[in-house]
Amino acid sequence: MLTLLRRYGTLIGFALILAFFWANLPDTFMTARNWLNITQQLSMLMVVAAGMTIVMVMGDFDLSVGSMASLAGIVVAVLFTLDVPIWAAITLGLLVGLAGGAFNGVLVSYVGILPFVGTLATLTMFSGAGFLVSGGKTISGRAIPEAFGSFARGGLPLGEWGGVAISLPNLTIVALVIVALSWVLLEQTTFGRRLYAIGGNLEAARLAGVAVRRLKLIAFALAGTSAALAGIMYASRVASANPTQGSSLMLNAIAAVFLGSTMSENGEPRILATIVGVLILGVLDNGLTQLAVDSYVRQILVGGIIILAVAASSLTKGLKTR
Amino acid sequence: MTLLALDNITKAYGGAPALRGVSLTVEPGEIHALMGENGAGKSTLIKILAGVVMPDTANIAIDGKAVTIDSPAQAHRLGLRFIHQEFNVVPALSVAENLFLGRPYPRRWGGLIDWPRLNATARATLERLGISHIDPAAPLSRLSLGDQMLVRISSAFLDEGGAPARLYVLDEPTAALSRSESQALFKVLAGIKASGCSILYVSHRLDEIMTICDRATVLRDGTSIDSGRLAEITHDDLVAMMIGRPVGQAYPAPAAAPGSAEMLRIADLSLGAEPFGLTVRAGEILGVAGLANAGQTKLLRTLFGDRASRARITLSGQPYRPRSPADAWRAGVAYVPAERRSEGLMLTRPIFENATLPHLAAQSLGGTWLTPGRERAATRTAGERVRLKARGPDQLAGTLSGGNQQKVVFARALAGNPRLLLLDEPTRGVDIGAKFDIYTLIRDMAAKGMGVILVSSDLPELLGMADRIAVLRGGALIGLHEAAALDQERLLNLCYGRAPAEPAATES
Repeated sequence: MLTLLRRYGTLIGFALILAFFWANLPDTFMTARNWLNITQQLSMLMVVAAGMTIVMVMGDFDLSVGSMASLAGIVVAVLFTLDVPIWAAITLGLLVGLAGGAFNGVLVSYVGILPFVGTLATLTMFSGAGFLVSGGKTISGRAIPEAFGSFARGGLPLGEWGGVAISLPNLTIVALVIVALSWVLLEQTTFGRRLYAIGGNLEAARLAGVAVRRLKLIAFALAGTSAALAGIMYASRVASANPTQGSSLMLNAIAAVFLGSTMSENGEPRILATIVGVLILGVLDNGLTQLAVDSYVRQILVGGIIILAVAASSLTKGLKTR
Repeated sequence: MTLLALDNITKAYGGAPALRGVSLTVEPGEIHALMGENGAGKSTLIKILAGVVMPDTANIAIDGKAVTIDSPAQAHRLGLRFIHQEFNVVPALSVAENLFLGRPYPRRWGGLIDWPRLNATARATLERLGISHIDPAAPLSRLSLGDQMLVRISSAFLDEGGAPARLYVLDEPTAALSRSESQALFKVLAGIKASGCSILYVSHRLDEIMTICDRATVLRDGTSIDSGRLAEITHDDLVAMMIGRPVGQAYPAPAAAPGSAEMLRIADLSLGAEPFGLTVRAGEILGVAGLANAGQTKLLRTLFGDRASRARITLSGQPYRPRSPADAWRAGVAYVPAERRSEGLMLTRPIFENATLPHLAAQSLGGTWLTPGRERAATRTAGERVRLKARGPDQLAGTLSGGNQQKVVFARALAGNPRLLLLDEPTRGVDIGAKFDIYTLIRDMAAKGMGVILVSSDLPELLGMADRIAVLRGGALIGLHEAAALDQERLLNLCYGRAPAEPAATES
């Protein structure tokens, strides 16, 4: 019974949140249009959270994803001002993420710095690099190619709903692809199994032949790349880039993974659970905005819900072992 | 008058009886052993005494007066002191601070800590127990594991005013200690006994119990058996009480003499002292003996690719230069580490993930795609081979008993059909029934032509299992003997570096 409450408490909480908004926003909340909108708003967070899940499976985390997202958006925008083709700019932006993530990985696994300290330092470095490259300004307007901005506004037509044409946003499709790739990687490959082994007991995994250092490096590189992708998606969505636009992603991504991990048997992060975590944060944001709740109050509520979910999970865990 | 008398103790967890009418008496000035295989109810009984678990029925008397123990504070008031298996120590603090852990530090004016008095009290407590080599001001992390244990135990002897200590309950105190550290502990226990306090001593180690304890209570299937005076019964009698049938042999007989084919040859191996060489034949069990930190673990870690070394090693005639544990597993070298919980298992992961981890490359499609169905089937097969008792391959490793956890580690080691098996204390903290299973398994592996290196601090185990025994001291090989030519005393003398012919006379 307690185990059930612990594992499904977060899901039940999610259902209650949905019910609350549905009751208070009967006309607008539970509509296909609103939900497609939510998935689009969430797509960047989902991509970052997927990368964060990969790192947190090993018991580490990456604080630099937010400033990496900003930096990658800036890099792509600056390349646009130099008339670099879209595909090349995006590729280079992703490579910046790969390199930055790999740098984190080297710090954590080869140099042996705690992830908290190492990625806190690179958070500052990436952020500084973003300001440096952009000159501290927002890059927008004519420098951003039309096709880059319109990608985020476009989508896959799904037909009509209540007389209105609806479509699956391109950004949502990107997020779904990333989620699918992460799921395959973590749940279906030896790579994922070994990451979970590292999270279970690093020393035992090492003695069982797991190449701990190399895997950590790869995992951080993936987290950096996913952060860069999210930053580029964001730049596409607002057709501009500024050095702080990704900054909210890091805390929300960690929160989403924590919320999700309250649903698994041993509190380990799982990608499908992370989706629920992301949805909870996104739905709260969407619903409270529609109810015209002050955004500062929203922040307090979101923080409270994270505490509630994690506390409920750890308290019931304590009761179970007693 | 009897110090502690327990009678008719029963306790069931959710309908499953753990204790079914247990009695136990401890006399003043007695060291009383509490024994039983894992799961026999020892921990439940201790928790009842400690006031942590409430019994369903119980008659408890101290000095003949009926008492109830309904909280740890009450247990403390009654003079019961508990020293648990897991250390509660803070390595960064000093010895004296650790002694006072959880107690108020002595203060002087203004509430400042009175450091001189803290250290002096700590020193007095240690000296009262005959421990003079430990500096109370030294950081605990600088002490050996054994000395840390002594500090841990000493903390139960601090004078605290209020109720004087009557009975100390020690749960597996020597599990992590070397032989000489254990000896130091036994001296302390003898001192306590002489002072009129009693000790309830929980251990798996029969030799220890036969040496230091006066009587034993054996728990089996939730009931208790009083051994009577241990001086009047034999080792085998005690084992028979524990397993409920007369003992056969403690160690399975070797199937055949080892072959002559050389499995492993090490030359120029330096473990921080004079370099040496060793060979292991196919089908041979090479025992490695020595005091704590004589180089045993270094030897295994070198062979396992976890320690840089210039040694020249050949495995089945091929040069073998492992640079990581992964290299070792690939070359067919399997390792069972000494610390099952910290080095062996991922306790929060299912059994099958633990068992297949080193073999994932072979057990997956193209080294990449997991095949959980095949992994579970392989784990079931390996589990049957090691006589693992588990609900299934998906049970979490951490929910198994110690013996069964160790069997998972063995299942993992054997799943890749290794050529060379490296065993570091393979039966530490394992109950007698599971021990015999593990010994049988090691014998079977050797009979199939595997080479085995067995590091153990349990001398009877080495003598019972090994074909030859290498003795290490300070990182040097100081002897290599046919096991049949040794007995326990000679082996012990070799470990201490005393010539077997003149025991005790030339202690170094």
